[in-house]
Amino acid sequence: MSIVDMSKDKAELPYGTLDLLILKTLDAMGPLHGYSIARRIEQVSGNLRLSQGTVYPALIRLEQQGWIRTKWGLSETNRKVKFYSLTAAGAKQLRVEVANWENAAALVARILEAKS
Amino acid sequence: MTLRRRLARVMALFRRSRLERELDHELAAHLELAERDALARGLPPPEARREALRRFGGVEQIKEIHREQRSTLWIENLLEDARYGVASLRREPLFALVAVAVLALGIGANTAMFSLVDGVLLRPMPFPDPDRIVRVWEAPTPTTSNSTTTRTFLELKRRSRAFEALSAESLSTATVLIDGEPRRLNGRYVSWDHFAVFGIEPILGRSFRPGEDEPGAARVLILSHALWQQQFGGLASVIGRQLLLDSEPHTVIGVLPPGAFDRHRARPLEEPASFWRLNAFTEQEIAASMHWLNPVGRLKPGITTAQAHQDVMNVRAQIADLVPEWKKDWSMRVEPFERLLVGDTLRQSIYITAGAVFLVLLIACANITNLLLARGAGRQKELAVRAALGATRLRIAMQLLAESLVLGAAGGLAGVALAAALLEIGLPLVGALPFTADVTLDRRVFAFATGAALVVAIVVGMLPAIRMSTVSEVATLNDASRGSSRANDRARRLIVGVEVAVSVMLICGALLLFKSLARMQRVDIGARIDRVVTMAIDLPWARYPSGHYWAAFYPLLMERVKAIPGVESASISGDVPLEGTGGENLRLPGGDERLLVRFKRADADYFATMGIPVLSGRGFTDGDRIGSPYITVINEALARRLESRFGMKDPLGRALDLPALGFGPDQRATMTIVGIIGNERVRSDLRVPPDEIAYVPIAQAPRMRVKLSVRTLGGAAAVVPAIRGALDEIDPLLAIADIRTLEDIWRRSLSDLVEPVWMIGLFAAVAALLAGIGLYGVVANSVAQQRREIGIRMALGARSADVLSLISRHVLATIAAGLAIGLAAAAALTRVMRSLLFEVSALDPAAFATAAVAMALIGTVAALIPAARATRVDPTVALRSE
Repeated sequence: MSIVDMSKDKAELPYGTLDLLILKTLDAMGPLHGYSIARRIEQVSGNLRLSQGTVYPALIRLEQQGWIRTKWGLSETNRKVKFYSLTAAGAKQLRVEVANWENAAALVARILEAKS
Repeated sequence: MTLRRRLARVMALFRRSRLERELDHELAAHLELAERDALARGLPPPEARREALRRFGGVEQIKEIHREQRSTLWIENLLEDARYGVASLRREPLFALVAVAVLALGIGANTAMFSLVDGVLLRPMPFPDPDRIVRVWEAPTPTTSNSTTTRTFLELKRRSRAFEALSAESLSTATVLIDGEPRRLNGRYVSWDHFAVFGIEPILGRSFRPGEDEPGAARVLILSHALWQQQFGGLASVIGRQLLLDSEPHTVIGVLPPGAFDRHRARPLEEPASFWRLNAFTEQEIAASMHWLNPVGRLKPGITTAQAHQDVMNVRAQIADLVPEWKKDWSMRVEPFERLLVGDTLRQSIYITAGAVFLVLLIACANITNLLLARGAGRQKELAVRAALGATRLRIAMQLLAESLVLGAAGGLAGVALAAALLEIGLPLVGALPFTADVTLDRRVFAFATGAALVVAIVVGMLPAIRMSTVSEVATLNDASRGSSRANDRARRLIVGVEVAVSVMLICGALLLFKSLARMQRVDIGARIDRVVTMAIDLPWARYPSGHYWAAFYPLLMERVKAIPGVESASISGDVPLEGTGGENLRLPGGDERLLVRFKRADADYFATMGIPVLSGRGFTDGDRIGSPYITVINEALARRLESRFGMKDPLGRALDLPALGFGPDQRATMTIVGIIGNERVRSDLRVPPDEIAYVPIAQAPRMRVKLSVRTLGGAAAVVPAIRGALDEIDPLLAIADIRTLEDIWRRSLSDLVEPVWMIGLFAAVAALLAGIGLYGVVANSVAQQRREIGIRMALGARSADVLSLISRHVLATIAAGLAIGLAAAAALTRVMRSLLFEVSALDPAAFATAAVAMALIGTVAALIPAARATRVDPTVALRSE
């Protein structure tokens, strides 16, 4: 049931990160369809390789939570696809999650520093 | 997991195919884009496709994850909450049991009531387009309805444009031999298109055809489903069979579908109609001015009742020449059939009872809310722990709500079972339902019960869920869980106050109805109803073809009946008390002015048998017969009316012009008033004042259909076989029908009040009981919470009285406030039941005072029992328990 692909040859994406990445991507790039989102995350995640398909379950979940909305449009190959964009609630959620991440990261950094 | 999967599939079913299609589109587009990019990077086509798929991951796997994501998110939570709710209820089985029982009572009573409302008021007629079915009446005055004459009906049928079908209905009875025994069946004379009016077709055979109602045509018959089942074993071979009705052959041509008219009674206690035959009007009937037909019609589509009325009035204007001078002012009325079926009194009783049942449910809900709040006080620590472990407020509230949903579901299930039982037991006791009412637990009723259970669960759980989820976890965890429940106490007292108010309202209503019933039971019906049994005997035209035969039959029968041991007296009359009697026009000889009075035929022993006192002059004797001078006896009410209308001071010996019915149509005679008797009630409606009645000797105005009344020395039922024997000696083919005691008839005439009285009384008692339980709970809970405080006070020297006042002060104030509000609300609301009340004001002070005292007593006792327990608190034990 996990969204994260656990295949051995790929490093794991920390739990909950995918949602954050999607929200951030939509925040930065504006409305995108699923493939563009997947490509974008692939590009920025570097050696953390994830299957492109995993964005779709994440997208429906974010949509159900009201953080993103969808609109039908045409892809570059002239197919009907959904374009996703951030809602006001999504923008707010993004700020909260970013803040949480920064706190957590700072905490971890402090602990690691103290240990060494 | 498998259960949840299955449930999730069911829940997402209605959006499933669309979501699935959208996902397919999206993934296809994704792979196409990925392939295009791969091609752009220079990969050969098959390689590009593989690369796209590889980087996507398992397509089916992603789809499966997607499906789970989209549909189980909330179901999962809900199920988890429900499981948690069940578990937490299982820890307190007594609480759960009480709560479910109270909810089942409330939901069950409301469900039963809804099926009644649905069957009687919302969907009273199981016919297609029921609002197109109307009755057509003659209207002598704006408020009275009368049957019509044969001629008027025939002209209506010929000339009117508003009707798709128009049938003249009149009562018909017939004696048939069943297993060698004569039995009287009730039926109807109708027109050939009668069933087209109601839009029903026989399930077997065919309906009537035009032309079959010509005077010379062969007699045909349609049977009710019930009669077909009982007497003909439901065999299709009944079609075409000859049946002798009053010795005349009739051919069975059809059988009606079940339910359609199986309960179509002319009067409440009578057997329902079981056959339909055709009017074949004779020349004599067409010429007669007798008002005996009740037209019922189906309007053409789009025709309103008002348009139909205009149409009927036009016809009447066209036939003005045929209407006698004195009826020129009469009007016609077109009335929706439905309004006839469900009278105003029945409608009102159902509304009021439904209101009372709803209030009981309200109190039941209030009680459960109270119980949940009380329970919540003891669970704050548990909830605080959950909050501290990361459960959001919403999540905790949802969990608490899930508990009440579980309660509501269980209460709803038990409630439906209770409703089924209530209808099973209660429906046969309700006498006045229209014959078409289909009161069953059908889909609509189940939908109602489900909705009710859901709403109840939410109403009941909302306040506790909100209150308990907002408790500050830190405070609760630190404290020994006291103090914070003060606000809860206030909420609970408020709820109990509302319960008291609603209960006192219901008690007021119940008492007003009880008082009305008591008044109505004391109404003097003018006759002694004990030990009198009545029965109907119909003489068939075939063997008794004129009034001379009828008049000759009566003494033959009476001679034998009076000789039966156990018979004190016996009489033959046209009708018996409380069962109605015809109306006729009275005139002064030579005068023109008409007075519509009740007209009753009776023999020499009628007044003695019924215990009606002869006030002056004489009653009838055996000497008043065919050939002797026409005489009449009038009742007190008519004597007074004659004085006020015609200035007739001393009516004895004066003459009246009345119909001399029985020996031919439209005969009138001058009759001498020989006696004045007490007022006998001839109508079942006891709310109206006594009618003015003219009695004539039945020997001078004989009738085919008569009533035999017997006053017995002992049991009324014991004489019936002997009467059958007496009848066999005269004519073994005559049937005895409608056997009932005068007491039964009297009781039936009270039933439109008895039924609401018992229902409202019962609901008021339940409401008061629930309110009492609620009060008990509130006080018991606050005693439990203040044990330590009480202990300290007692250790410091407080007396029992102080403790009692500490505990009960608030709750007694609550009761007082509830009483005040309840009485005010009752004063405003009892007005709606004014039409049910009889000789009692809707603001009857005695009823209000009694209600207030009763509720105050119940409330005080309920509050003082647990409060008294507080005074027995042992300080040492109470302090140690912390």
